[in-house]
Formats: sequence, C-alpha cells, structure tokens
Amino acid sequence: MSENGSDLDTFPKVLARNVSKFGNSPAYREKEYGIWQTWTWSEANEEIMNLAKGLIKLGVKEGDHVAVIGRNRPYLYWSLVAAQHIGAVPVPLYQDAVADEMEYILTHCSATFAIVGDQEQVDKIHEIKEKIKGLKDIVYVDPKGLRSYDKANLHFFNDVTNFGKDDNGDLQAELSKRMAKITGETTSVLLYTSGTTGRSKGVVQTHKAIIGASSGANEFDRWSPNDHIVCYLPMAWVGDFMISVGQVMVAGACLNCPEGADTVQMDVKEMGPTVFFGPPPLWERLKTEVNIRIEDASSFKKGAFHYFMNHAEKVGKKILEKASVGFIDRLIYSLGEFIIYGPLKNMLGLTKVRIAYTAGEAISAELFDFYRALGINLKQLYGQTEASVFLTMQDDNDVRSDTVGRPIRGVELKIADSGEVLYRSVGAFKEYYKNPKATQETKDKEGWVATGDAGYIEESSGQLRIIDRAKDVGKMKSGDMFAPKYVENKLKFFPNILEAVLFGSGKDKCVAFLNIDLSAVGNWAERNNINYASYQELASNEKVIDMMKQHVEEVNQDLAADTTMSGCQIHRFLILHKELDPDDGEITRTRKVRRSFVAEKYDDLVTALYKGDNEVSTKTEVTYEDGKKGYLEATLKLVDAQTYMLKEKSDAA
Amino acid sequence: MSEKNSVIMEVKNINLRFGGVIAIQDVSFNIFEGEIRAIIGPNGAGKSSMLNVINGFYHPQEGEVWFNGEKRPSMEPYQIAKTGIARTFQNIALFKGMTTIENVMTGRQLKMNKNFFWQMLRYGPAIDEEVQHRRRCEEIIDFLEINHIRKTPVGSLPYGLQKRVELARALAMDPKILLLDEPMAGMNVEEKQDMSRFIIDVNEEFGTTIALIEHDMAVVMDLADRVVVLDYGKLLADGTPAEVQSNQAVIDAYLGVPH
Repeated sequence: MSENGSDLDTFPKVLARNVSKFGNSPAYREKEYGIWQTWTWSEANEEIMNLAKGLIKLGVKEGDHVAVIGRNRPYLYWSLVAAQHIGAVPVPLYQDAVADEMEYILTHCSATFAIVGDQEQVDKIHEIKEKIKGLKDIVYVDPKGLRSYDKANLHFFNDVTNFGKDDNGDLQAELSKRMAKITGETTSVLLYTSGTTGRSKGVVQTHKAIIGASSGANEFDRWSPNDHIVCYLPMAWVGDFMISVGQVMVAGACLNCPEGADTVQMDVKEMGPTVFFGPPPLWERLKTEVNIRIEDASSFKKGAFHYFMNHAEKVGKKILEKASVGFIDRLIYSLGEFIIYGPLKNMLGLTKVRIAYTAGEAISAELFDFYRALGINLKQLYGQTEASVFLTMQDDNDVRSDTVGRPIRGVELKIADSGEVLYRSVGAFKEYYKNPKATQETKDKEGWVATGDAGYIEESSGQLRIIDRAKDVGKMKSGDMFAPKYVENKLKFFPNILEAVLFGSGKDKCVAFLNIDLSAVGNWAERNNINYASYQELASNEKVIDMMKQHVEEVNQDLAADTTMSGCQIHRFLILHKELDPDDGEITRTRKVRRSFVAEKYDDLVTALYKGDNEVSTKTEVTYEDGKKGYLEATLKLVDAQTYMLKEKSDAA
Repeated sequence: MSEKNSVIMEVKNINLRFGGVIAIQDVSFNIFEGEIRAIIGPNGAGKSSMLNVINGFYHPQEGEVWFNGEKRPSMEPYQIAKTGIARTFQNIALFKGMTTIENVMTGRQLKMNKNFFWQMLRYGPAIDEEVQHRRRCEEIIDFLEINHIRKTPVGSLPYGLQKRVELARALAMDPKILLLDEPMAGMNVEEKQDMSRFIIDVNEEFGTTIALIEHDMAVVMDLADRVVVLDYGKLLADGTPAEVQSNQAVIDAYLGVPH
C-alpha cells in the first residue's frame, strides 16, 4: 500500500500527502464556545506552516528541544508537527506535573522554547525560571490572565502564526531548506517515560520509527480517513502521541479535541468516535456509572436491564465474533440492542465505535466481557514507549482478556532465558537521551530491546501473555514465586479497590496496602446510610474494612488454587489513609505504582504489618496541587486475613 | 489601572433611614474607573444597603449618586441596570430550574431589542440577535470555566458553581461597574482561591470596575485597590488596604472596643 508504505517516512511527507489526497476532509476539530470548529487538512497545513515559520522567526534552531505543555488542543498538536517541520524536536510534558517535575525534564533536555496552553503553565515555568537558564521564549495559546505579564519573552500563539502569514518569502525559504534536510532517521520526538523506577528517561524516536509503528497498527485494524478519534489522555503520554499524531496523520483520520477536561464525557457522546482508547480504570469507571444508574432506576427498567444483560453475556460475544448463534437467541439480542444495548452505548458515546482499545494494565475478564457482550469491539494491545507503543494487537475474532495479541507487521518477538520478553521492531527507539548506559542495557547490538516484562507466547494461539514486571518478580523466603502485580491486579479487579501494593519479596508471608475507590465505596456507603466526610474517614470505617477483608480473602482463595502463586496469599493488610498520588511521587502520572518508593515512604507501616500490631499511628507528608506541602496524621487498623491451603499439599500455607 | 484615577462613581452624603432605623449616615466615597473597591465592616454596618443605593434598589432620603460625571436622577433599578451597573447577591438569586446558559442569557435580556413579534416567532432578526448574544455568553462561560455545566439546571449545582454562574450572568450585561455582595460567603478555601482569581481576571481582562463586599479580610486585602470601612452606618475609614489595616478606629471596630 503506497499510502501506508515505505515512501512516506517523515511527517512533512505525510502531511503533504494528506493535503493532496484528503485536503478537504476534516482533520482537527475542537469544541469552542459550545460549537465544534473544524479544520480540514488544507487548513491545518496552513496553520502548521505559518506556525513553523513563526517559530523560525522566534529563533528556534534545528535540533532545539521545544517543550509542549497543555491539555489536548489542536494548537498544541500543530505545535508538535510544526516543530518537526523546522527540524526541532518536540518534547510533550504532562500538564498536571508540578514545577519540580517540569524542571527535571526541561533541564535534562535543555529545552530552548516552550509552547504552552495557558497561564497555569506559564506560571509554573516562571517559578523555575532561575534553574532552566537555557529556556529562551514561551508561546502561549490562551491569553486569559496573562495581560499584565512582562511580554519580553512571552508570545501569543496567534502573533507567532501571524509572523508566518506576514512572511515576505525569507521564512518560507528557510523552512523549505530545513524540510528538505529531514529524513526518516531524523529525530521526530523526545518522549519521557513515566518512570516507575526512579527518574524518567527521555526516549528518542525517529520519524521512521513513529510512522512505521503507526502504519503497522493502522494496517492491522484497517484505519481509514473516515475514522474519528477523541483525544483526552495526556499529550505527554506516548499512547496519545502515537494515536493523535502518528496514527491520525498516517491514516488521514480526524482528531477531535474536547472543550475541557470536565466535558470529555459529554463531548465524546456528541462526537461519536469510531476508534476509542481507554485505560482499564476508565472502562471500570464507566461500568460503575452504569451500575449506579441502574440501581436507581425503576424495577421494570432494572428487570429489563438484567434480563437482556444476562442474554448478552450468553451470546453477545459470539455474535460480535461472528460465531454461530441460534435464530431465537439472535432475535432476542436484536430486541435487546433496540431497547437496552443501543441506548446504553449511546449514553456512553460508543455507538459508532468500531474498535475500542485498552492497554497499560491488566483488565479483568468480567469487565472485558461486559463491553464485548454489548457489541463493543474492545481489544487489548501491548507496547511501550521504547517501541513506539505497538508490539502486539488482537485480531477481531481472537480477542481475550488474559492475552495481549500477536506481533504486528514489523515486530519480532522472542523470550529470553530469564523469561523476559524481547522485541525487534520498526518502532524501536534510537536511544535514551543523554543516557548511553541505559540504552546499552536495554538494547543489544542486534537491535533486540528488553521490555522489562516477563511473559511467554502461548503455543495454542500464538498470542503473548504478560505475567509481571520482570524485575518485580522475586522469591519468597520459602522459595515460592513472588509476583506482586499479578496479585495486585486480582485485587484491583474489585470495583471497590482502586490501588493495591503487595510486599513480601524475601519474606515468609505477604502483606498489602489498599486504596478504596472513593466513588464506588462512597456510593455503597450512601446506600447503606454510612456517613463520612472524607476519604480518610470512609477508609477507616469498620464496615469498609470488613468488605476489604472479604475481597482479600476471595483473592487468597483464588491464589490457593494456583500452585505457583499460592505463596503470594495476603496474610495481613491495611487501608491507606490517603490515596496514592502522582504529586507525592507514589504512582506515576500514568497511574503505575512506584513500588520501592512506596515501600520506603511507608516503611513504618510495612514494619508494623510484619510485627503483628493491631494498630499503627503515622504521619505522612502530602503535596497539594499547587505544590505546597502538608502533613496528614492517622491511626490505621492492621487487619488479619484468612489464608487457604493448597488442597493436595496441606503444609504449604 | 488606578493611574488614571478618573472617578466613575461617587456617592455624596448619603443618608438612608428605614423608619427610625438609621442604616447609612452621611457617607461619601468615590470609585475610580478600573479599580477593585472593597466595602467592609461588621454585621449591620450598612454595606449591603450601600450597594442597594448604588444600584437604585433603595432611594436614600438625602444624598446624591454621581455616575460618569453626572448626577443621577431618581431611577428604577432596571433603568440603572441599563446604564451599566450589574450585581450579584449575597444569597444566590438564580432561576433554579433553568440551565446555566439560560441563566447567563437572561443577563443579556436588557440588550435584546427585537420586538415581541419576532421573538415570539423565534425567526429572522430574532435568531440573528440571539446568535450574537449567545456568542458573548459563551465567551463568558469559557472565561469562568463553567463549560461543563452549560446545560445543567443550576438548582442541582454545588454552591460554589452557582456563585460562579451568578457572576457570569452579571458579566453578561457587559457592566461598567460590577457590584459583588459577598462573592465568597460560604465557600471553602479552594473555591475562594478560584473566585479571587476570576475577580482579578474580570478586572484585568474586561477592565470592569468592581465594588465588592467581603468578610474574609485576607481576601479583601489581597484583592482590593482601596477599601471603605463602614460601622453603624457611618464611614470609619477610606484608603488603601495598608492604610485601613493600621487605622486605629478600624481595629477598634473589629476588635469590639466599647463605643
């Protein structure tokens, strides 16, 4: 396929192709002032070119790092592409990062320019200005609140694009010169990993890698210019970059930007995306919302819902996968589609969804099947920043919740002797920025990259199965395998549990920290007339502790049935007095637990759990959204949970 | 801002009585164009009454109100509103059953001129007019970051958001002077921070002159360019926050020294 293929190896070429082939079809949309505004590929191209010229005029040089910080808006996506066009390297940053975190990345990549969304980001940069000497100018999109700021090194986005519009030809000449120099090997973006273990690393990706991985994924799931995507996940996250820039541009699809963070759900409903990406917590939340609403509905509606949902569970998946289903069952399913599934999908904004993806974390079979039963083609994929995301994906008729699919075009997989998954792919990263040691450790001379995940390829299906982070897998004192994430995921599959952290490597038994899910447990509390004023109060409620105990024991029972995992049963646990928070560094911005950090920070709690105390008092430092620090004091109950023995080996527990 | 120091509004020797109760006694002060002017004082000092005099809801027995360099004749509140004075209320006064956008649109009502006939048909010029006014309302909704509740009935909104919707409605009038009666009453710290930021933004971006009553001293001292202090209906002090803070009479009034 020439339009997906090898001759398009840089973003300037891809954009030019889109203008000539799909010039008049919608490329970007954003809801502003309550109305959806549309830019076609031709119009977007003009904006990008003017911005590129404006950036040249501001003094952005080839090879400069340009930080892009803000919520998902067309202007910022254009900024990424414009920076690529002038030979600079865009570096998207998390917009909710506190100033300190931003300082690390901005100094590490010595960013010279920043294009930001609004006053909040400008303020954060000003706060750390002294420490990031290399940063010259800031460009802002939304002028609100910035009227009285010193404008010496601060430019309004529209003024910068106007430089491009008013160009007498000099800027165009410089732009053309720079564009001609860009090849597939030119760096197209610097993406920082979320950093589950220590500081995040800058992953250098070339044009060819991003485009190669995007077209491989597009081909796999047959993306077309008619596809609509909603962007709402952080721009700094590799997944958003791959979907909203890579896949959208390579396919010539349309990217829809919501009005604001609070309006995403409404906007998704209005937009009707055809491809939708959501991490497991989002799917969990949507389902919880549906269940809460149904609980409040009249008994007739409730009855109809449960009847048809039961039916969907029986045949929905089969119908979706085009397996054979009896005529009567099909008839009932179409009736259900008319009165339950259809309206429900409409409420979720998923009516037109052709493919829905989930990735990043394991997803429970029950949750996965719920959506597939409704006729939503929810699939898993597996990837990482270093691979330009896409490594394995699932075929429409071979979708499972416990595997992550088969390698896509351009990806080779192999399993190391240690059990670690290795890959070689078009999307593989060039290097870690300014970190040759880490590059060497991760990528060998033949191009094989270590994922850091332990897994195996299932022989019957050829699909990849991931067990855990390779370096987290350890041994208990007894010699049993310790796979924390496996157990934590089992816990997190309960809607009432938001986060779980398991300890026990090298010990004789496992203990766990839990975070309750405030919306799910809060709703349950409301129904059961339990009063609470805060997370802390609800988390320390006796009945909530009992509920958690039940969940933990259920997981223990499950684990006991599995010979390799029975050693990981949870003997004692506690419910943390605060939610794990990226601002405190306990989890990453992509919500992955930073295990060693948590272990160190809450050392007193872990010790108390092992000592066998019934209660522990603790004082924890917390960071507020504005970066200020405070302390939280609490007395936590430590709870014993029942553990179970293996049936055939009665002395194992 | 206050470098011009041109007076947009001046009240002179206001006396307001309700029967035998003297609410305001011989109070005079002025408001500069583009400034944030705070009116503070203990409970019952006559602050809200003063706002009601300015927006024409109360007619003082004696005294004059000067607006834009002219002495204002006796007018009804709606006529005064048309001259460019908008306000919010201590106890929220929104249409609870209407959505945010509908409430904000009512703020444009005084600016809609098309006759009853067209409006009834909702056709032709009436539509053009509505579109034009809707745009301004949407800008304000965007400005105050209430897009996500655009179509939510305001009765079901939390208190802090209702206060913001009320501010939006007042702004929809494109007022020259905005009167805010305890904009932060009953709010938590975070909501107060948000509201303070919006008040400053409105003042800076739209250049709107703002007169506000507030009890939270920290907020007043941060926000206001100048402060008027009332006590028992009398003017106790008038000046910059720093001047007022060090004024002995003010300290006495707030600490409760016997009069």
